[in-house]
Amino acid sequence: MNLVTVLDIFIGGVLIGGIYALIAMGLSLQYGVSRVLNVSHGEFIMLGAFATWVLYTSLGINPLISLVIVGPIIFVIGYLLHRTLFRSLFKSSPSLPAFEGSSLLATFGILYIIQNIAIITWGSSSKGYTFLASPVNLGGAIFSANRLLTLGFAIGIGVAFYVFLARTRMGKAIRAAAQDPDAAGLMGVNINQVLALCFGLGTLLTGLAGVLYSMCFSIQATMGLGFTIIAIIVVVLGGLGSIPGSFLGGFILGIIGQIVTYFEPSLSLAAYYIIFILLLLVKPTGILGK
Amino acid sequence: MLEVCNIDTFYGKIQALWGVSLRIDEAEIVALVGANGAGKTTLLNTISGLLCPASGSATFLDKRIDGLTPHYIAELGISHIPEGRRLFPVMSVRENLEMGAYTYHAWKRKEETLEEVYRVFPLLKEREGQLARTLSGGEQQMLAMGRGLMSRPRLCMFDEPSSGLAPRLVLEVFKVIKTLREQGITILLIEQNVKRTLEIADRAYVLENGRIVSEGKSSELLQNNHIKKAYLGL
Repeated sequence: MNLVTVLDIFIGGVLIGGIYALIAMGLSLQYGVSRVLNVSHGEFIMLGAFATWVLYTSLGINPLISLVIVGPIIFVIGYLLHRTLFRSLFKSSPSLPAFEGSSLLATFGILYIIQNIAIITWGSSSKGYTFLASPVNLGGAIFSANRLLTLGFAIGIGVAFYVFLARTRMGKAIRAAAQDPDAAGLMGVNINQVLALCFGLGTLLTGLAGVLYSMCFSIQATMGLGFTIIAIIVVVLGGLGSIPGSFLGGFILGIIGQIVTYFEPSLSLAAYYIIFILLLLVKPTGILGK
Repeated sequence: MLEVCNIDTFYGKIQALWGVSLRIDEAEIVALVGANGAGKTTLLNTISGLLCPASGSATFLDKRIDGLTPHYIAELGISHIPEGRRLFPVMSVRENLEMGAYTYHAWKRKEETLEEVYRVFPLLKEREGQLARTLSGGEQQMLAMGRGLMSRPRLCMFDEPSSGLAPRLVLEVFKVIKTLREQGITILLIEQNVKRTLEIADRAYVLENGRIVSEGKSSELLQNNHIKKAYLGL
């Protein structure tokens, strides 16, 4: 294994890690604040990817512009989904654990509804388009320009989101609501609005990851569930409820995936599960968990 | 200022408050006295909107507030400093205080209020950047009180502010409550230290098994035989 191969694996891992980081941050927000373990999470990366593909192939809209078209639409879908479905489930649940159970089942339903609509609309074959595919040489390792661009955007979105949580009035309200929803309510935080907002921001981050993903890889209507699983593993890896942990965890899992793929491509998913199980056994609080 | 009328509150199927009525006038300190489980905290939670009463009404500054959500009631000027402090453990002292000023009218004057709160609790300024969970019990209570004041409230409801504190700090808490009244803030106080509470309160209500069993001027209640026996250990 020479230096170029090592670089190849490392950079390749970081590139896909950016996508993992975004979807994991989204899931972390949905579970950490809204208390919905969203199994349909990956469907929103699929929706983001397909929306971008449709806009590019039928209207010729630049995928980077799709970020600002698709993002807000997916945010609104997530926000309304929480305001209607999850709000009603919350009201009818006698306790928080009961709500977590019923909302988990509901998201299974959403997964299949979205996936089946996508299969009916777009079929189950792979789709793709070519965008900024020119090769770029990084110290001997060669990557297409679109992958570097996606990484740049993934880091930019992740950092912007972190600053939003750390610095703004609404970001602080979200963190307070995650730590003690009742006390946040006493401070004047409209808790129902914040919960829906977090769910919407979760789908937004994932939708944006979908837009970025479609620039580099082929997409299928059934691609969602694999990403949900990756997001769950990254959230546990980074520490439940830790947004920086999810961000960092995304890159770590991306690199691990590339290493395993280098030796035996068919084992990468198995490797993810092994890491997941080992983590649950050895350090269930994750690397940045509290 | 606050008028609670014939409130019934339930936890699931269990009734915790039975026809409770209570009145607080502007600039008064009113104490709520009663044993553990008598319903004191339930009453505060009902006023601040964490619990919704099954029947009865609550009016604050001529506005019906029963059934409203907590954020709306906070916006009207009621600050509830809950039992057990309920700080945001992984936010800094300063961020906890800023959250106290979350309501629209308070956020605009946040920096100014922060200076005022730091003047009352200079220690909080020293600890500004520390996470709330790293503070000692006494410091946490100071932070909870400071956070409650950040909204520039008209009415402050304290639930056991001196619980778990060393005697010297208990005195400090009572001193702060007195200063607040001098600044014109109306106070509803639950305290385990009944004697000291009745000494600083203007009036008091005694709650037993979810019902108000007596009420009156604190000075009169201090002489009441039942109160003496049950709560003052005399």
